Amino acid sequence: MITRRPPSRAQIRRERMQAAANFPLDWLEERSGLVGGIRYFLFRKVPSDTNWMQTLGSATLTAFIVQAVTGVILAMYYKPTPEAAYSSIQNITDHVTMGWLVRGMHKWGASVFIILMFLHMGRVFLFGSYKYPRELNWIVGVLLLAMGMLEGFTGYLLPWDQTAYWASVVGINLNGTAPFLGPFLAQFLRGGQEIGADTLTHFYSLHMLVIPGAIGGLIALHLYLIIRLGVTSPPWSKEAAGEVPVDGVPRELRAGLTRAGDGDGRGNGGPA
Amino acid sequence: MATAGKPRPIDERRAQFQRYKEDVKKRGKPFYPFAMFHDTVMSLVVVSVIVGLATIWKWTSFGPHHDGLHQGLLGPEYTAPADPGTTSFVPRPDWYFYFLFYLLRIFKWPDTVFLGTVGIPNVLLVLLLVLPFIDVRRERRLSRRPVAVVAAVLTVLSMAVLTWKGATAKEALASEVINSVPSWIKAEKLPAAAVPGAKLFAVSGCTACHTYMGTGSSALGAPDLTNIGTRHLGITFQINHLKCPSCVNPGSPMPKFASLGDARLRQLAIFLEDSKGPR
Repeated sequence: MITRRPPSRAQIRRERMQAAANFPLDWLEERSGLVGGIRYFLFRKVPSDTNWMQTLGSATLTAFIVQAVTGVILAMYYKPTPEAAYSSIQNITDHVTMGWLVRGMHKWGASVFIILMFLHMGRVFLFGSYKYPRELNWIVGVLLLAMGMLEGFTGYLLPWDQTAYWASVVGINLNGTAPFLGPFLAQFLRGGQEIGADTLTHFYSLHMLVIPGAIGGLIALHLYLIIRLGVTSPPWSKEAAGEVPVDGVPRELRAGLTRAGDGDGRGNGGPA
Repeated sequence: MATAGKPRPIDERRAQFQRYKEDVKKRGKPFYPFAMFHDTVMSLVVVSVIVGLATIWKWTSFGPHHDGLHQGLLGPEYTAPADPGTTSFVPRPDWYFYFLFYLLRIFKWPDTVFLGTVGIPNVLLVLLLVLPFIDVRRERRLSRRPVAVVAAVLTVLSMAVLTWKGATAKEALASEVINSVPSWIKAEKLPAAAVPGAKLFAVSGCTACHTYMGTGSSALGAPDLTNIGTRHLGITFQINHLKCPSCVNPGSPMPKFASLGDARLRQLAIFLEDSKGPR
C-alpha cells in the first residue's frame, strides 16, 4: 500500500499559482465557452496533404483586414464633400505622418484583394471544392466577389479627381441602362439628378459602412461553413485525408477510402 | 427508406462525405500549427506585396514639384481635381473593370448596349451562383472533368483578352482628332457655319465614345456620327439632347454637356445637322 505523503509547501504553492494563472481562461470558458471554441478551431483536423494553393483564402482575408484597418485610418482624415475631398486626399498623401503609406496600401490593397479573390475562386473551381456538401459556401463566395467589385466601384469616386469623377459619371449612367430598375438605381447612386455632394456621401456610406458590413457578415458565414464542413483534400489525393495509413492496414483492405474502392467503379478522386 | 438495388446518388454522396470526415479525423493533421504556418507565410507575403506597391507608387510619382500628379511607374497619386465643366476627359475605370469597359465597345446603342452593360455581366453572375447545381457530379480530378477545364480556360482567356484590350484601347486625343477636322470639311462638304462646331466636336471629348469618319473610338455603344444629319433630328433636338441625353433618350449612358453653354451647343448642333456623310 502506498502511503500518500502530505503535499509539501512548494507543491501547494505551485498548484495555487497554476490555478491563478488559469483563472482568467477558466472564468471566460465557464461564462462563454469561447476558449473551447478557439481550441476547436485551432486543433481541428485538416487533411494531411493540403496544398499551398489552399492558403489563397486566408490570404484574401488578410488583404481584407489590411483594407479595413487602412480604411478606418483614412476615414479619420478624409472629408466627403466636393469642396474638401480632393484637398483632404492631398493632405493625407503629402502631410499626414505615413499617410502616403496608408493611402497607398488601401489603393493597391484593393487590387491585391480582387486578384486574390479571383485566384481563390479559381483554386476552388479546379479542386472541385464547390461540390456536395459545399454548394452554399460557393454561393457565399460568389456574393463576396460581387461585394468586393462593388467596393472597387464605390471607392473609385472618393478622391474626387478627374479620373474618379468621369469614371463614376459613366459607371452610374451604365447602371441606368438596365431595364425597369436602371433609372431608379442610377437616381439612387447619384442621390439626385446631378453628380455632386449627395453622390459623394452616398458612395462614401456604401463604401465604408454598408458593403464592408455585408462583406464582414459573409466572411463570418464563409468561415463557419469551412470549419463545419472541413477543408477539402486536393483532388489528386489518393485518400480522403491523404496520408499513408499509420495503423498498418493495407490500402486495398480499406475500401471506400481509395479511388478504386469508391463504389461506382469510375473513381472520383476521393471524397469531398 | 431506400429500396433495395442501386443506391440513390444522394446516399452515395452522404456516405462519401462521412468517410471523408472519419478519414480526416483519423489521419489528418491539426490546423495549428501545420496549416496555420502556411497561411501565416502567405499572409506575410500578401502584406509585403501591398506595402511594396504603395512604396513604389509613392517614390516613383514624386516628380520635381512634389505635387503627386507626376506619372510614376504605377501612375500618378491623383489626377487634376474633378471638374464637371471639362468635357475632354476620357473616362477610365480601375483595371479590374477593363473587361466590362471593353465589352461595351462591342455593343451598339440603343439596341444591344443593354447586353453589354447589364445583360452579359448579370448572366455570368447567375451562372457562377448556380455552378454547384449545374455540375453535380462527384468527380473532382481535372483529367475527368473536360467540360469544366475547357470552360475555365475559355473564361480565363476571354477575361484576359478583354482586360488587355481595355488596357491598350486607343484613346482619341483631342490634339490628334483636331488634325482630322480639315479632312471632315472636305469629305462632307461642310458649310462654313459648321466649322466651329466641328472643331468643338473634336476637342470636347465626343470622340472618346463616338466615331466620325473613322476617327475616335467606339465605346459604351455610342453610335457613329458621320451621317447623323441624314436623320433630320433638328437643331432644337440636338441642343436638348446634348444638354441632357437621358432626358431625351431615357437610359442613355451619355454624360450631360450643358456646361458648354448655349452658344457652343448651338455650334455643335449645326455641325451635327450638316453631317450628312461623305459626298
